[in-house]
Amino acid sequence: MTLTLDKMRADVAELIDLDPSEIGDDDILPDLGLDSLRLMRLVLAWEEAGLKADFGLFAEYATLGDWWREVVQPAQAA
Amino acid sequence: MTLTAPIRPDPAASAAYPLTEAQEGLWYAQALDPANPILNTGQYLDLRGPLDLPALRKALARTIAESEALHLRFHSGPDGPRQWLSSEGIAPRIVDLKTHPAPESEALAQMQADSRRALDLTADPLAAFTLFILSPERQLLYERIHHLAIDGYGMVLVTNRIAEHYAALTGAGPAPTPFPPYQRAHDEDAAWRASDRRAAAAAWWRSAMADLPEVAGPAPGRAVGGDRFIRESMWLPVDLAALLEDFSDRHRLGWPDVLTALAGAYLARWTGGECVIGLPFMARMGRRIARLPCMAMNVLPHRLRPDEDMPLADWLAAQARSFREARRHGLYRSEYLRRDLGLIGGSRRLYGPLVNVQPFDRPPVFPGLEVGLHILGAGAVDDLTLTFRGDPQAGILFEVDANPALYTPKDVAGHSARLAAFLSAALKAPSLAHVPTASPAEIAEAEAVNATGHPVPDTTLTALIEARIKASPDAPAISFGDRTISFAELDRRSAALAARLSALGAGPGRIVAVALERSLELPVALLAILRAGAAWLPLDPDHPPRRIAAILSRARPAAVLTSPELAGLFPGDAPLLSTTDWPLEGAAPATPPAPGDLAYVIFTSGSTGEPKGVMIEHRAIVNRLLWMAAQYGIDASDRILQKTPATFDVSVWEFILPMIVGAELVMAAPGAHRDPAAIAAAIRRHGITTLHFVPSMLSAFLASPASQGLALRRVFCSGEELTADQRARFHSRINAQLHNLYGPTEAAVDVSFWPAAPDDDSNPLPIGWPVWNTRLEVLDDRMRPLPPGLAGNLYLGGVQLARGYLGRDDLTAERFIPDPTRPGERLYATGDLARRRADGAVVYLGRDDHQVKIRGLRIELGEIEAAIMASGLARQAVVLAREDRAGDRRLVAYLVPAPGYAPGALAPRLAASLPAYMVPSAEIALDALPVTANGKLDRKALPAPEFRAAGRAAGTETERRLARLFAEILHLPEPAPAEADFFALGGDSLSAVRLALRIEEETGRDPGLGTIFEHPVLSALAQAIEAEAQDDGLGALILLADGDPGAPPLFLVHPAGGIGWGYRHLARRIAPARRVWGLQHPGLDPDTALPENLDALARDYVRHVVALLPQGPVHLAGWSVGGIIAQAMAVELAARGREAGLVALLDSYPADAWRDEPEPDPVAALRALLAIAGHDPDAHRDLDTRAKVVAFLRAAGTTLGALPEPVLDGVVRLVTDTNRLVRSHRHRPMAGRLTHFRAALDHKDRDLSAAMWRPYAAEIEVLEVPFLHSQMTSPEASALIAPELARRLEGY
Repeated sequence: MTLTLDKMRADVAELIDLDPSEIGDDDILPDLGLDSLRLMRLVLAWEEAGLKADFGLFAEYATLGDWWREVVQPAQAA
Repeated sequence: MTLTAPIRPDPAASAAYPLTEAQEGLWYAQALDPANPILNTGQYLDLRGPLDLPALRKALARTIAESEALHLRFHSGPDGPRQWLSSEGIAPRIVDLKTHPAPESEALAQMQADSRRALDLTADPLAAFTLFILSPERQLLYERIHHLAIDGYGMVLVTNRIAEHYAALTGAGPAPTPFPPYQRAHDEDAAWRASDRRAAAAAWWRSAMADLPEVAGPAPGRAVGGDRFIRESMWLPVDLAALLEDFSDRHRLGWPDVLTALAGAYLARWTGGECVIGLPFMARMGRRIARLPCMAMNVLPHRLRPDEDMPLADWLAAQARSFREARRHGLYRSEYLRRDLGLIGGSRRLYGPLVNVQPFDRPPVFPGLEVGLHILGAGAVDDLTLTFRGDPQAGILFEVDANPALYTPKDVAGHSARLAAFLSAALKAPSLAHVPTASPAEIAEAEAVNATGHPVPDTTLTALIEARIKASPDAPAISFGDRTISFAELDRRSAALAARLSALGAGPGRIVAVALERSLELPVALLAILRAGAAWLPLDPDHPPRRIAAILSRARPAAVLTSPELAGLFPGDAPLLSTTDWPLEGAAPATPPAPGDLAYVIFTSGSTGEPKGVMIEHRAIVNRLLWMAAQYGIDASDRILQKTPATFDVSVWEFILPMIVGAELVMAAPGAHRDPAAIAAAIRRHGITTLHFVPSMLSAFLASPASQGLALRRVFCSGEELTADQRARFHSRINAQLHNLYGPTEAAVDVSFWPAAPDDDSNPLPIGWPVWNTRLEVLDDRMRPLPPGLAGNLYLGGVQLARGYLGRDDLTAERFIPDPTRPGERLYATGDLARRRADGAVVYLGRDDHQVKIRGLRIELGEIEAAIMASGLARQAVVLAREDRAGDRRLVAYLVPAPGYAPGALAPRLAASLPAYMVPSAEIALDALPVTANGKLDRKALPAPEFRAAGRAAGTETERRLARLFAEILHLPEPAPAEADFFALGGDSLSAVRLALRIEEETGRDPGLGTIFEHPVLSALAQAIEAEAQDDGLGALILLADGDPGAPPLFLVHPAGGIGWGYRHLARRIAPARRVWGLQHPGLDPDTALPENLDALARDYVRHVVALLPQGPVHLAGWSVGGIIAQAMAVELAARGREAGLVALLDSYPADAWRDEPEPDPVAALRALLAIAGHDPDAHRDLDTRAKVVAFLRAAGTTLGALPEPVLDGVVRLVTDTNRLVRSHRHRPMAGRLTHFRAALDHKDRDLSAAMWRPYAAEIEVLEVPFLHSQMTSPEASALIAPELARRLEGY
């Protein structure tokens, strides 16, 4: 399975009790309530779905847009 | 050669950066205390299994190389501290302990030693790694990194990285992605400093923390972390972890938030339901430093005031929202916030305990090895740090780290076990309201303390006393003054009176009032009432008639037992039965009370404005008295002093216990209870074994010379807090057990006890353990049990509870409430605050309301306020018990005056309705009572009263002394004027005792407490004192201590200086068996010529003595030259045909010993004055002129120093003349025995001995006491000498 930006948005929204439409690409996710423990859960689920990326790398970026550009796209391209 | 090495800057230092915001606070903390190693964070991994040592070495080297922060160095420059990366490497050490006998403890000791070493941040590497090889299968990997380079999550990164490299090197995993460069820490810091978010966060925090109350932790004290901490760790039980996970999942909450909030709820219980906790925050999420080993964490203050009634999940969800909001602003440093809020310095702080949930802190995975993680230290511990490491799946390690300045290891263990129990209980409870703070184990421990069940016969006081009367009819029952009656006589009198009372309608269920001064009749009256089957109601004859009338109208007694003198106190219709009308014959009525009938009713102050009558049943007081007899072994061999006023329930055991056990009840004289000298005299005279003091009176008693050296079996204290200081003073003066008792009138006198033995070092002194069949409960405001250490409300349960308040079911229902955990039983809400100690003993902490105690007397301030309002003189009134000076508590009335008020008008009006002790000692009129912002009375804003009197300044010598002493004792800002009234200025009976004592200290004469009460105005008191002083103060004969006029007195002859007052300690210990007189030199009057020689002086004294004592033996004693004179007097008496009895010399030696010595110079003679004043002259060699000696004596506050100038001149003249008298004296032999007390510690240089008197006495008896010559009349020496003298005197 390939991870898409919208799938990521939906998963994050589910985890922090928001509607996907409330999370923009440049919104600061920790401000919306995403903490490291929830992020860990998220990344574990994505890894199970086939993504090869380091949890720590996700933690270095604060927005969905950055995740997509800096972490997921390079990993899926590799 | 120089030992100073040149300082060479590290080449890399040129590339130095400023510190990040996250590092600054730590830097300053370390710079303030460079020797403190607490910022060395450390941990070790316990690696079990076969280790690939080369792989581990390589893994360590790679980790160290890529973790740049470990290479940081710091220095302080002109622009503040800087950091740079040193090029110096860090080499891990390998320590092989395989052959060590105790390898593990050795390894731990070495880790400890390394962690306890403070670093030099400029020169030392910030990190160290050591592998301890304990055995082929076990290794400990120790990591230590300074907090400036790492935080908790950074430590996880580094540790996991070692494991990842190890896995890769052993072929068990991929090589990890290298850590980012340390430069990112600077970049992120710079970005944050420049960001708009920073200012917004600062503003958010300032508003969130506005009106922050003073932050406290569970333990009182200054929360400043030291260089170490104490720890208690435990794994949370597996079922608790499962419960936590399940609860969190069910309510869609993060388990760390649930854990944090519940820990906060627990901590809030310790600080009045509100607290501010500190939440360590990683401050990494979404930042480029997320996986960079560095110091980034922050501590977020979190205010917490749980709504305990809210459904738990709702409250937790609200907390989670609040945490989330705080984290959004979590990069703003708490150090800056502290500064913003002005919380710098002193004990002001931003948060109390830390709650730290570290889900990632789990043992790393080393392939092929079993790994344990042990955290040694994670930074400073200012208060408590509660850390939860791991997660519910892997297990949660719970650590309580504590500041040892605030917590004992026992406290820490308590918090650890209790919080775990609290979490378990809370996660199962519908709301926090259902969760007690005490753990089930602690509730069981309190239960064990309260397991006081003890069989007590279900009987009555009446039955117990009647049985005793039958058992020992001839034993002495009651003594008063010189009269003693036997139990048979008590039986006869009480039966006769009981018959009359019965005829007047007294019987079970009825009340008989008693208003009598202490007398033989008073205990007879109480027993008669009991034998009639009725309950006694004590009335205080000193109370105003209006109050007495109010009590009588509520109690409707069948009779009022009183004396003719007091009859006028009562309303015309009161059924009085005066002592003069009591019958002498009659049989006790056959109407015995049942155990459930009332035994007595005692009225106490009531907040509603009228006193309330506490009704005690026989069953309750029987339990109390039989417990006391058994607990302390009180039996027929005891003599108990009755000195407590009958209106105070302590009197109940004083009166009744002797009648039950067959002890002798000794009634103190009326008024004696506040006079230490009278109490001491009564104890000595009657051989009292047992008595009671209210602690403040005990203090006064201990301050009185009369109490020194008393020996008795036991002393009980109750009525107010007994202090550690009083305990120490007691045991240093009095040889007896000391017991602290506690209880309200509502629970039959006392419900708890504590032995205040000499080796007891408790401070505060507990009220202790429950008596038989009694429970002490410390509960919070929701009636939930509290753990040791936490203050709450004290409730009492058991058989001693009163039936209630007479005719006031409403008040009874308010205070006597159903026991929530024991259906059908009651608890009495004492209104006292208390806490349990770890051993279960209860400590009293104060009142939760406006009830106060002044010298043990219970006062409801509301009753005084009601009386002020009833006077019509005030529109508003409030009364405070102020303690503006420690130990000096006074009632102050504040009022907004009504028309008709004039200053000073209130007290006389109040005195008409309130007992004297309830009349405020000051009244302050205000335009309005101060209120707080929310409209409540602002008690703190009420001004302290100024006790100040105006008028003529003190004039005479005595007046000036009194003016000074008034000021000293009443804490006046300046000497009191001549018209000052001691009591109007705030004096009371206790301070009057102190005044009498001080007057005695300064003048050598006890003015008598009665004189002060009689003449409270300064000028009048001065006159009274002078009138007495004229007779004997400086006369040839002064009465040093009064005693039995029938026994031959003892005469004490003055030492050099001519004054006899120095013998007062000795005299007090001889009296009251006989009177003790002092002989003083006529030359004290400077106008009187000096005697021709010593024999002439002795002849003069003998004339005085025989004039006073026409017949019988003349007992003589004297210290120093006084002894020489005494011997000469004995010779002179024989010449007159009179017999000398005891002739005692206190360290006196014949003139022969001095005659051949060189003539002393006048200064040496002057210095003898020092010895007379009780100072060792050799210790004051600098005092070499008359002026210096006199100034020293005046400054030392000695009797001599306080003498009027002309008298002191006289003393100096006599001291100087002593030498002439002694050298010219030729001893003549006396016929009888000479008793010599030698100062055994003195005379090191000269061979002075009693044997030198051999030519001058038929017989010599020699005793030695371990004192210096100058100490022979001190209280301590007197305590040894007096009994020897007394024993010999009795032989005549």
